[in-house]
Amino acid sequence: MIVADPKPFGQVKGYLENFEKILIVGCGTCVTVCLSGGEAEVQILASGLRIAFGREGRSKTILEDCVQRQCDEEFILPILNRVENEQIDAVVSLACGVGVNFFADRLGKTPIFPGVNTTFYGAGMEPGLWAEMCAGCGDCMTAHTGGICPVARCSKHLLNGPCGGSEKGKCEVDPANIDCVWQLIYDRLQKLGRVDELQNVLPAKDWRTASDGGVRRTVREHLYRLK
Amino acid sequence: MSDKNVIKSGSNLERVLSSGHFAVTCECGPPKGADVEHLQKKIDLIRGCIDAANVTDNQTAVVRMSSIAASAVLLQNGLEPIMQMVTRDRNRIAAQSDVFGAYALGIRNMLCLTGDHQTFGNHPMAKNVFDLDSIQLLDVVRVIRDEGKVNSGDPVQGSARMFLGAAANPFADPFEFRVIRLAKKIRAGADFVQTQCIYDMDRFRKFMSMACDMGLDKQCFILAGLTPLKSAGMAAYMNRSVSGITIPDEIIKRIKGVPKGNQAEEGINLLLEQIQQVREIPGIAGVHIMAIEWEERVKEITERAGLLPRPQL
Amino acid sequence: MMEKEFTQILAGDMLATCSAACPVHTDTREYVQRLSRGDYEGALDILLEVNPFPSVCGRICHHPCEAECRRKEIDSAVSLRMLKRFVVENTKEYRIARQKKPAEKKEGTVAIIGSGPSGLTAALDLALSGYRVRVYEKDTKLGGMLAHAIPRYRLPVEALAQDIGDILAAGVEVRTGCQVGKDISFDDLRKENDAILIAAGLAESHSLPIPGTDSKGVFLGIPFLWDVANGMRPELGDRSLVVGGGNVAIDMARAAKRLGPSKVYMACLETREEMPAWKWEIEEAEQEGIEIFNSWGPKAILEKNGAVTGIDFKRCTSVFDDQHRFSPKYDESVTKSVEVDSVILAIGQKANLDFLAQTPVAVDRGRLQCDRTSMTTSERGVFVCGEVMTGPGSAIGAIGTGHDAAKVISHFLETGETLKLAERKVTTIGELPSATAALAKRFERVEVNLMDADERITNFSPIEPGYSESEALAESRRCLACATGAYLKSPAHCAGCLTCVRVCPFGVAKVEKTAVMPAQECQTCGLCAAECPAAGIALSRFATNGMRDTLRAILSKSDTAKIAKPLVVSYCCLNETTSRKFLGAQTEEEIRQSGILRVMIPCVARLSTLDLVSPIELGADKVAVIACTENGCFYTGAEELLARRVKRVQKFLDDIGVGQHNVQLFKTDGSAEESWPRIWEQFRSTPAQTVAPGELLAEGASR
Repeated sequence: MIVADPKPFGQVKGYLENFEKILIVGCGTCVTVCLSGGEAEVQILASGLRIAFGREGRSKTILEDCVQRQCDEEFILPILNRVENEQIDAVVSLACGVGVNFFADRLGKTPIFPGVNTTFYGAGMEPGLWAEMCAGCGDCMTAHTGGICPVARCSKHLLNGPCGGSEKGKCEVDPANIDCVWQLIYDRLQKLGRVDELQNVLPAKDWRTASDGGVRRTVREHLYRLK
Repeated sequence: MSDKNVIKSGSNLERVLSSGHFAVTCECGPPKGADVEHLQKKIDLIRGCIDAANVTDNQTAVVRMSSIAASAVLLQNGLEPIMQMVTRDRNRIAAQSDVFGAYALGIRNMLCLTGDHQTFGNHPMAKNVFDLDSIQLLDVVRVIRDEGKVNSGDPVQGSARMFLGAAANPFADPFEFRVIRLAKKIRAGADFVQTQCIYDMDRFRKFMSMACDMGLDKQCFILAGLTPLKSAGMAAYMNRSVSGITIPDEIIKRIKGVPKGNQAEEGINLLLEQIQQVREIPGIAGVHIMAIEWEERVKEITERAGLLPRPQL
Repeated sequence: MMEKEFTQILAGDMLATCSAACPVHTDTREYVQRLSRGDYEGALDILLEVNPFPSVCGRICHHPCEAECRRKEIDSAVSLRMLKRFVVENTKEYRIARQKKPAEKKEGTVAIIGSGPSGLTAALDLALSGYRVRVYEKDTKLGGMLAHAIPRYRLPVEALAQDIGDILAAGVEVRTGCQVGKDISFDDLRKENDAILIAAGLAESHSLPIPGTDSKGVFLGIPFLWDVANGMRPELGDRSLVVGGGNVAIDMARAAKRLGPSKVYMACLETREEMPAWKWEIEEAEQEGIEIFNSWGPKAILEKNGAVTGIDFKRCTSVFDDQHRFSPKYDESVTKSVEVDSVILAIGQKANLDFLAQTPVAVDRGRLQCDRTSMTTSERGVFVCGEVMTGPGSAIGAIGTGHDAAKVISHFLETGETLKLAERKVTTIGELPSATAALAKRFERVEVNLMDADERITNFSPIEPGYSESEALAESRRCLACATGAYLKSPAHCAGCLTCVRVCPFGVAKVEKTAVMPAQECQTCGLCAAECPAAGIALSRFATNGMRDTLRAILSKSDTAKIAKPLVVSYCCLNETTSRKFLGAQTEEEIRQSGILRVMIPCVARLSTLDLVSPIELGADKVAVIACTENGCFYTGAEELLARRVKRVQKFLDDIGVGQHNVQLFKTDGSAEESWPRIWEQFRSTPAQTVAPGELLAEGASR
C-alpha cells in the first residue's frame, strides 16, 4: 500500500492562513492503515487547527469529512458537492498525493492543500512500522532475485550488487535501519538453491516503463470508453 | 570477457602488466574546485614513481574537478591517468559520451565504479542516477571497445579502446560472494582490478586463493590495494567509519604502541612489510598505493620497497 | 429514572446470562453498573422494577444469576447477591421517598389468600394498577415462609420489614390472624371480590409412615420453624436429628443447633452430591458442627415411655429411577441407629387446602387442580400462584409467579377472559470462551468473613456482614458488563488495518472482511476504539459527549473571568474510587470555583487522542488523565498504550502551540479519595504554558 506521513502541523496551518471555511478530508484506505490520514487523523488535525487559530483570536470554520478513497470519482463526488453547496474556501486532503491531485483536477476555483507527505509503496513489517518494498518501475524483475526487489530496496538500485558498502548484512547508508538487499537476495537464492544465478550479469534496465519514461497511464481495453 | 593477451589500449599500465612486471599505481585526487596548480603540484610529487595514477570521480560524493578534466591535466603534465567513472552522477548517455571524450583527450585507462551514495558527501540532497551499476558500465564500455556499438546498438563513430578496470572488495559481506562478484566483473569486461586497502592479510590470502582456484588471476590483472596509516587515530577512524575496512587489533596495537610523533613512520614501515607480503601471494600482479593527501611519501615508499625505477616500455 | 445505557446491544429477548438465569429477569448488569458508578439509588430502581423483595433476596436468594455469571470463567462469579444487599441497605431513605401509590383507581377487587412472596408480589402489582387488594394471612405476621421458615440468622426481621413496607405503602389491605375457611369463608370471599388468588403455599410438613412419629420429641418441620420464628423454644433435648436433605432441613438443623442440643445430626436419602440443599448452606451447617449422614432412609423412630430415644435407618442405595423420578431403593440388611432426644421431619411440604372443602374449587388427592399457563383453577375468577401451584421452589421463583398472576388477573378484570401466558423464549450471548478467559487478568472475588461458627450457634443474630462501600464498589467493577463493548460503526469504515487486532489484549478483535469484535468475547476495555484510525469503532459503555456538553455550557456563558484558572478537565479512572466522594455530578458553580471538571471513566485507556485534545479546544487550560494504581489496570497492555498516546498528544500540543505540559498522565497512589486532590492541587499550581505563535511557525517550517 501507499505509505504517507502526516505533514508538520505548522506547515499545514501555514497553507490555511488566508482561508475562512476549510474542509479536511481523510481517506479510508492506505492512509488509514498507516495511521496518517484516516478519520481519526482528520478529527485530530481539525481540533488542532481550531485550537491553534483560536489562540490567535481567529475563528475559522474547520469542517471534517472522510471518504473511502480519493482516487475514483464516485467517492469524491460528495465532497465536491459539499465544497460547492457549503461554499468551502479551501480543502486539505489527508489522502496520498494521488488524492490531492485527483481533487485538484476537479476543484475548479477552490484550492486544495496536501496534509500528508506521501513516501513509498510499502508493507507493514510489524505493528507501527512500514518499510519500502516496491519502486513501481513497471518492469518487475524480481523473478531473477528471489522475489526481492533491488530497484526499491537497494539504496543505489544496483542490479548486480552488492556494492562495497554492504557490511554485516546492512546498507552503509543507514546500517541501523536498512538491510543490504543484496545480502537478502543472496540468502534467499541460497535457500532456493539458485545462488549460481548471481553469476549472470543482469543487463542495464530499460527505464522507460518507470517514471523516467514519462507520466504513466494504463488502460483496460475491455472496459475503456464503452459505447 | 576479453582475452588477456591482446593489447587493447596500448597504455603504459597495460604494457607494464602484460609484460609481466609488478605494476605500481597510486591515487591522485582532483581539487575541490578549478585549482589546476594544486593538481600540478601533486603530479610533480609522484611522477616517475608509479606506472599510472587513479583520478577519482567526485569521491565520497564530494564535488571536485571532474575526473575527465583532471585526467587531461595529468596527461598534459606527463603522468598516465586511470580515469575513474562512477555511475552515481551520470546516466548511460552521459557516461558513453564521457568515454568518447576521454579517449579523444588521450585517456586510455578507465576504472568503472558504482560510487558512494550521495548521503556521504556534501550534497546529500542531490538526486542520484545509478542508471547503470559498475558491472553494467564495464559491459557497456567493453562493447564499445570490442564491438564498436553503443548501448542502444548504434555503431560507434571512432572507437574508444580503453583498458578497463574495476574495484574489488574482499572484505565486504557476504565474503563467499566476493569472489563470484569479481568473476562477474571480469566477465563483464574488467581487464584489471584494484582491491580495497588490505589490513587483514590472512583474509586477503584466502580471497586470493579462492580467486586463483577459479582461474581469475589468469583472466585479469589483480592489484593489491594498500593504505599507509598516518596515526592510531586514523586507524580507529577507518575501522569505525569506513565500511568494508576492518583493521586487526595487532595492527592498531602496533601503531598505538609507538609515541605519537613516530606513528606515521611506523605506518610506513607497516606498509613496506605489506608490499613485501602481497608480492608473495600468487595471482597478485601489482600494488595500488592509496596514500590519500600524503602523496609526498609515495616516492620514498616506492624507493624503499625496491620498486624504482619504473619500467619504461 | 435515569435512562439505561445499553439497550442497543442486547435487544429483544437476548439477555445477559445473569438476567436470563433470574426467574424475574432482573437487569442485573444494569444495577451492577449503576452501583459501580456510585448510583446506588438508580441501582435500587432497577431492582424494584421486577422484584418487590430486594431486601429479602439480598440476604437469602439462591442467586441463579451467579451460577451463570460469565466472570466465573476467569476467576469467580461476581458476588451479585451481596451487591444487591449493599444497594438495598444503602438506599433506605430513598426507598421510602420513592414509595408509590397507584395513579388512578380502577374497578375491581381482588382477595389474595396467603402473604408469602408470591401473594404479596401479586398484591403490589395489582394495587399499583389501581385495583382494591385485600390479603388474608392466617398468621400474625406477613411474609409466609419468609417470616416463618427462614431463620433469623439468615433473614433478619428488619430486612423483611423493609420490603413489606413498600407493599403496604401502595395501599394493599391486609388481614392478619385471619384464616380463610375458619375466620372467613371462601364463599364470602367470592361474593365480596371480583377475583380470588390462592397463594397459600406449602404450609404443612409431610410426616413419615414409620413407627414412632407420634412420640414426644418428634417435630414436623414447618411447625417447628414457625414456633422458633414466634419466639417459642421447642424442647429438643441434648441430641437432635433432622430427617431430610433440602434447604428447609438445613435451616431446621441450624436452628436446632442454636436452641441447645450439643449434637445435631442430619440424615437424608441422597448422596452428598445429590443433596438438594445449596452447597454453601451445607458447608455453613457443617462449620456449625452439624453432622450429615448421607444415603440413609428412616426405618423407625425409637421411643421409651412415649418419648424419643433414637432413630433407626436402613441404607438407601438409590434415590431416583432412570427417568429421574423419586423412587428410593433400599438395602434392608445395612442399618444404622442413632441415639437422639428429638427428631425433626423435613422431608417435604404440602399444601393445606382444607379451606377449599365444600367449595366447588377442584382438589385432587391433596393437590389443587390448576392450569399453569393461565394460572386458573376449575372455578372462574379463582386463580393460583406460588408454591401451591408449582411445588417446592425458590423465593425468587415464587415472586415470578406472583407477577404472572397479577397479569392474568388484571386481564380478567378488564375483559372477563382468562389469559394464557406465552412462555418467554430468552436467548443469551452464551459462555465466555475459555481462550478469551485465559487472557483476562484475575481479580479475586471480595469475600466477607462470616461470624465464627462457635459464636454463630449461640444465637440467631445475622451471621453475614454486608459489604462496606469500598468492598461493594470494588466487587461491582469485576462485572464484565457483558455485551456493552466494541462494535464497528459500519463496514464502510473499516480499512482492515489490523490495529484493533494488534491492540486487543484478549485476542477478541478479528478482521474477516472487516473488523469484528464478537460480543460474546469482548471485555469492554475500549482499547480498539481508542486506537482505530478510521474512528470506526464505537463503545456501548461510556461516551464523552456528556463531558463536552458540560464544558461547552460552562464556557459559553459570558463570565469566563469567574472560572478559577487554570481550568482542568480531569479524566479519572472510575475503578479506583472507594466511595461516592467523586461520583456525584458536579454543579456548574462547583466547577467554576474549583477549576476542576471531573469525568469518571471505567478505565482511562479507552480515551482516544481526540478525547485528550478536545477539552483544550473547548476552552479548558489543562487536561489531567488519572489512571489506576501501578499494575492495577484490568486490561493487559492498556497502561503502555495510554502512556504512548499521552506522549503523542503532548507532542501534538507542542506542535500546535499549546505546550506539552498542559496534558499529563498521573497514576493513583493509594485510594482515589486521598490521591486525586493532591494531583489536582499540584497540576493546578502551574498556569497553562503555551508556545508563542511565532515560534510555532518556525518550528513547523524547519522540518
